[in-house]
Amino acid sequence: MKKLSSSLLALAVLISLCVVGVSSGYAQEVGASSVEFPYTGNRTAVWIVAQLHILFAAFILGAPIFVVISEWLGYRKQEPRYDRLAKEITKVTVILFSMTAVTGGLFIFVLLAAYPQFTTSFINQFYVVFAILYPALFIAETILMYAYLYTWDIWKGEKKGRHIALGVLLNLVCLLILFVINGPTSFMNTPPKAEGVSPQDFIAAATLWDKIANQSWFPLSLHRIDGNVAFGGFIAGMIAAYMYMGSKTQEERAYYDWMGFAAIWIAVGGSLLQPFTGLLLAYEMCDYDFSFCPYMMADQLSMFFETQGIMIGLLFLGINYYSWLSVKRIEGADNVRITILAPMVLVVLLPATMWVMNSYWIPDPMSLAFLLPLTLSPFLLGRFVPVTVSARTVIKIGFIIMLISDAVWLTPAGFVATGTDMPDEMKLPEGWDYLSSMPAKLSAILTLVFVTIVNFVLYNRAIKQGTILWGKIDFASQFVLIFLAFTSTWIMGLMGAVRSLLKKYFHTYSLVSDLSVESFTPTLSYSAGWITAISVFFIAIVSAAALIAIRPSVARVKESEASSVPIAVK
Amino acid sequence: MWNLFKKLAVGLVVGGVLAGIAHSQEVPFSFQLLFIAIALVGAMTFTLLDAPAMNTMSGGKAAFAVAVFWLFLIMVCVAGASLLPQFDPEDEKAKIGKLLDKERKQSAQGKTEELIARAKALDEQVKALENRLKGIGGGQAVTPSPPAGEKPAATVSTGSGDMMKVGEEQWQLQECYNCHKLRGEGGKKRGPELDNIGSLLTVEEIQQKIADPKSFMAEGYEKEWTKGIMPNKFKDLMDPKEMQALAAWLGTFKNAAVNTPKPIKKN
Repeated sequence: MKKLSSSLLALAVLISLCVVGVSSGYAQEVGASSVEFPYTGNRTAVWIVAQLHILFAAFILGAPIFVVISEWLGYRKQEPRYDRLAKEITKVTVILFSMTAVTGGLFIFVLLAAYPQFTTSFINQFYVVFAILYPALFIAETILMYAYLYTWDIWKGEKKGRHIALGVLLNLVCLLILFVINGPTSFMNTPPKAEGVSPQDFIAAATLWDKIANQSWFPLSLHRIDGNVAFGGFIAGMIAAYMYMGSKTQEERAYYDWMGFAAIWIAVGGSLLQPFTGLLLAYEMCDYDFSFCPYMMADQLSMFFETQGIMIGLLFLGINYYSWLSVKRIEGADNVRITILAPMVLVVLLPATMWVMNSYWIPDPMSLAFLLPLTLSPFLLGRFVPVTVSARTVIKIGFIIMLISDAVWLTPAGFVATGTDMPDEMKLPEGWDYLSSMPAKLSAILTLVFVTIVNFVLYNRAIKQGTILWGKIDFASQFVLIFLAFTSTWIMGLMGAVRSLLKKYFHTYSLVSDLSVESFTPTLSYSAGWITAISVFFIAIVSAAALIAIRPSVARVKESEASSVPIAVK
Repeated sequence: MWNLFKKLAVGLVVGGVLAGIAHSQEVPFSFQLLFIAIALVGAMTFTLLDAPAMNTMSGGKAAFAVAVFWLFLIMVCVAGASLLPQFDPEDEKAKIGKLLDKERKQSAQGKTEELIARAKALDEQVKALENRLKGIGGGQAVTPSPPAGEKPAATVSTGSGDMMKVGEEQWQLQECYNCHKLRGEGGKKRGPELDNIGSLLTVEEIQQKIADPKSFMAEGYEKEWTKGIMPNKFKDLMDPKEMQALAAWLGTFKNAAVNTPKPIKKN
């Protein structure tokens, strides 16, 4: 009997082993993941590497735009410091270029290990992009970037135009890369579809162009272009802050103070466009599938957007605080005045926009018929109004309006994690609920942008009427520059997570399901932890790259430059 | 320091007044807290605006200040996000589990899991047999337990009760409540309230509307219908039986007291 039971047991074990063996073999054959990343899990592992890659890529695609603008300004104004700024940032970009390639390669390996079946089919979908276009453009970018750096000192003087043209060409290739790679990225959110045809059948018959030119492709690309410009500027500002803090002489301090200012000036240009291109992207996504909208704004991701509101509110406060500190270091800024129309428009803009948006929701052109004259009136009619107000008063009024706009932006329908099961006692009561509506949010963003524009107009006037004491800026401003770089990086991480989570339980929305156990919306707290870790790691690498690339050149500048940068430049 | 206290006092007063007004209008406490927080951020902002210039730092002192500042930023970001209400992924996991159940079973992963489960079941059977044999040997009767990992055969029923259950489940799984109000729950005025839909459309027509949202238009929802706000994806996400169950379940709602807009046949 004992023999029989032992035999049966052995048989069962053998069968079990065979079955498990077959099952493992089968799993390998069709590509189910046999890898389990420790601690993070597969999805978070992909998330970390992908986000790091995107941050480096955003910098190396955004910085060349920033750099060429700076080089061109230096050439046009014949100011060597613009040229120095451009060259220093290019050196950092070249170092980070290799980090982009490394994280890009790692991203593919991790993706293949974690989701082999999906990755293989996805690469097959975009074979021409991944095997031909993207590598070819990446090689072209590498050649152009190194050529751009190494011809800097050769193509100067009369040949400077040639060098700038090379920079423009580099930017064109960078833009092409961005548009090309955004094809597969946006495809995962909004694969093309047609009425009456199943998504699978439509994709099977779709051309590569159909897949690339999906509904969110162009808005995503636009949003990433201005985002990259802003990001490049903020990171350059942080580098300037570090260099300012490490400066030994007043000349160095003057230069890095100026560099921080120039970087933020360009970053603000990109930042002001970001809310609008972001809204366009959200609009197109909701138009593609309306269920994205409640998922983002009312349900699982509503508190992610609350956090985004907080961070963008702080970003705008930081930008304007830096602008305030910059004005303070201008001799004669106290005498700068602006028409009383400016503070008047500042005060009425938020309620007026809320009324207009409630009455004529975009894209109704009537909204523009009201808002354009209102926002342009201080600049067009100001000269006809003799009453003026001091710049400092206007900036302070601007801060109050910004805080009110932030409050409007941050007011949700209710402070709950999901709107679907919100109890009535948590909801905003009737009469207050307009504060949580989209028209109110849009009005708040528009007001934040307008306040920032007014502040920069005032700053420009102060520059013209006074004398900037470069290197004499309040030391607190350097912490503001670091804060802006961190906040901007963090927001990119947050919104990257949101864009990816929008696919819900799909790898490619409504086409390929994510059958893994990690297919769910993580908590904001968990996400914030990882976003912070990724941001810190990225910034640490950038800081190290800046020290490696810029410190030696500072030493050379000190040795070679007999004439110093003037401290007071009008 | 006087500047700080003055601004803080102003911030507290402004925040207090705002919270007081909000309280008198029965605005929930969390919003009152938000208004106080914004007022305090304002106080801090104005304190910074009027603060004397910070002394220039360099070397180790600057590096230390930057490190402390970084720690502060990290703490604020991690703690700040954790203070907001957190969505419980378990709620979603259960839903997604049901939605993906069929696909998971069909997938390689599902097949693998099924095979492993079968292997385990075989193992259990052997163990049970072994115990039984031991029992025979020892004079003890051992009742074989059902194989572990083997689900009991599902009761296949076409009864209306089950169908209603499936229909209601689909309402939850497909998150129809995000746009449509039903039984006084859900809906954000994006789609019509459906409590009387059973009086206005037949089950077949409801099914047609779910499968092809452009087939009917609710009166007064022309803009939403033109923009195709109701996603045209449910025929791909539900199988015909599930869609039929959802339609049948919705067809039972005949509450004339609720003003469900009249559906107009479009194509």
